[in-house]
Amino acid sequence: MLSEYKTVHQKAIYQYLIIDSDGVIIESDDTFFANIHSQNIITLHPFFYSIANLLDTKKDQELLFSCIHLDTDNKSIIADITLKTFTKANPLLIIQDLTQHYNNYQLTAQRRNESVITSQILELKNKYLIEKEEFKNTFIANFSHEIREPLSGISTFVDILNKTNLNAEQTDYLNIIKTSSDHLKHMIEDILDISKIEVGKLNLIEESFNTSEFLEDIIFTYKVKAEEKGLSFNSSIEDKLPNFIIGDPYRLKQILGNLLDNAIKYTNKGNITLNISLNQIRANKANIHFEIIDTGIGIEEENFENIFTSFTQINQNHKIKGTGLGLAIVKNLVELMHGNIAVDSDFNKGTSISFNLSFKLDESSKNKKVKKVQNVHVEENENKKHNVLLIEHSEITQLSVLKILAAQKKYFLDIVSNPEDVIPILKNQKVDIILMDINLPNKTGDVLAQEIRQLPEKELKKIPILALTGKLFPEDLKRYKKAKINDVIRKPFNEKSLLRTIHKYLK
Amino acid sequence: MSISKKIILLGHFGVGKSSLIRRFVEDTFTDNYKVTIGVHILKKEVNISKEETVSLIIWDLEGNDDITNTRASYMLGTSGIIYVFDLSRPATYKQLESDINYIKTNYPNTPVKVVGNKKDLVTKDFLKENNDNFKPFVDFFTSAKANTKVNDLFSTLAKELIH
Repeated sequence: MLSEYKTVHQKAIYQYLIIDSDGVIIESDDTFFANIHSQNIITLHPFFYSIANLLDTKKDQELLFSCIHLDTDNKSIIADITLKTFTKANPLLIIQDLTQHYNNYQLTAQRRNESVITSQILELKNKYLIEKEEFKNTFIANFSHEIREPLSGISTFVDILNKTNLNAEQTDYLNIIKTSSDHLKHMIEDILDISKIEVGKLNLIEESFNTSEFLEDIIFTYKVKAEEKGLSFNSSIEDKLPNFIIGDPYRLKQILGNLLDNAIKYTNKGNITLNISLNQIRANKANIHFEIIDTGIGIEEENFENIFTSFTQINQNHKIKGTGLGLAIVKNLVELMHGNIAVDSDFNKGTSISFNLSFKLDESSKNKKVKKVQNVHVEENENKKHNVLLIEHSEITQLSVLKILAAQKKYFLDIVSNPEDVIPILKNQKVDIILMDINLPNKTGDVLAQEIRQLPEKELKKIPILALTGKLFPEDLKRYKKAKINDVIRKPFNEKSLLRTIHKYLK
Repeated sequence: MSISKKIILLGHFGVGKSSLIRRFVEDTFTDNYKVTIGVHILKKEVNISKEETVSLIIWDLEGNDDITNTRASYMLGTSGIIYVFDLSRPATYKQLESDINYIKTNYPNTPVKVVGNKKDLVTKDFLKENNDNFKPFVDFFTSAKANTKVNDLFSTLAKELIH
């Protein structure tokens, strides 16, 4: 019975071949290759060419060739082939059909290899995208920086021209130039901010600031802006808010400013509301809730997510200026401060945007308040004239600084374009303050500042050096600090920002 | 009867070894990737000159990340080696130098041709930028898909095997 079952179910999976040392088949069964007696083994399949020169060894040895695909006109099998050679007998070939086993293995290998290749390709694509994004952001940052220089010139001379005798028509034209250049300046600042955020180069500062002074300033500014457009401005600030908190007041101002600007921009009638309340104080941190509500055009629900995407303006039909970056910057800044932003809107009825942020409480707030007041009241000696050395190769900036300082009638200004001329001047004449461009020809401003600080003259080790630059990435600021540059005047500067920083160092 | 020479193709999986052979032997190409397990063996006559012909017995080996894991029995009687990597996947050539050194140390008298395949997937700039990495080792930049330098590769090796 058993032998009957074996006859029916047992599949022959071996073929045995005895061959001579020249490869001629002496004896064989017919399992895969049939009727092959007296043929040379190499005629069966190209595989056997490769073993032809291994037959005449006259040694007892065994060689296994596993997973060989034997494809012939009639049949395809995947086999393990064993070659046995003997000292006193003809070689023996054993072909073992393992097709099913190897086909299963092939499926597994196929899945594994495809998955590895796909993940490698995805990794490469991802790397490529990151590089492309970094290139874009670096390009934008550099490009924006280059634009600041001429813009600084426009901004300064608009201010100067405005103080001259102009007729009404000229004043109107000048206002248009000023509005356009201010708009361009804001757009560049936005683009620069978003590119910094996206390359992770935007660092928040931590300083103590007076909450009510900070909010009063914002409310005043935006109340005026809203009323100029015929909108009413309501605000509610909870009394329980701590007096002093530690955070980045400049970026918080930017967040609130962008949201309020946007609310005013997209509201044609009704009101703008700013609500600020304390959620809780825990572990020496105050969690504050900010909410900006408008009665403007609103946002359709499907666009709630898109409004925070770079370069997205939902209301394409409205003739409203902007880069579409304002809300993207807001979202990124809120997230950088570990907060979350939420939007709720009824289309054509209005929008509410809210977020919560945590700020450390300032334990030593009283002392800081005194210090701040003291600083505010420091004024320079009105009668004294100061010697200013400007090291700057841009003629526009030279002229801008000259005009601003000349109008004050309290400064003697020396201008140097070539950094090599600076040290001889410092050795031969009295200078009270140095204004220095960073992008100087042949030598950067920070290198020159280091050289000045290393001069033996004691007064030159303390002389205020202020950098005039638009390069304000964290690594740039570190370089300036290392070079003992006292402060930075950001380009594009205007009369107010230039004089404020100079006054700070000429007490 | 022409002379028979066994050559083997080595390299990581998915670099296009089977595609190069299919292009050379059958002059066909398919984008469908089928993983080779074990070894496929094909034969092709190559005319070296009017008088000389060599019969290449081409062993298409299963791809392997680690060249030292190649089954020793497959290498027996090998007259020439083609080492293939994929220009579009750095993982397949990050060990290029050590793999070539391994081959040259273990098979010192066997001619080796090093091939950067899938040239159609990379730009000229990419090849220029990576010139320092590839130049010391690579003999051919091929594309089985675009039929670039495939015949040159096999016929150059065939000539070296009989001269």
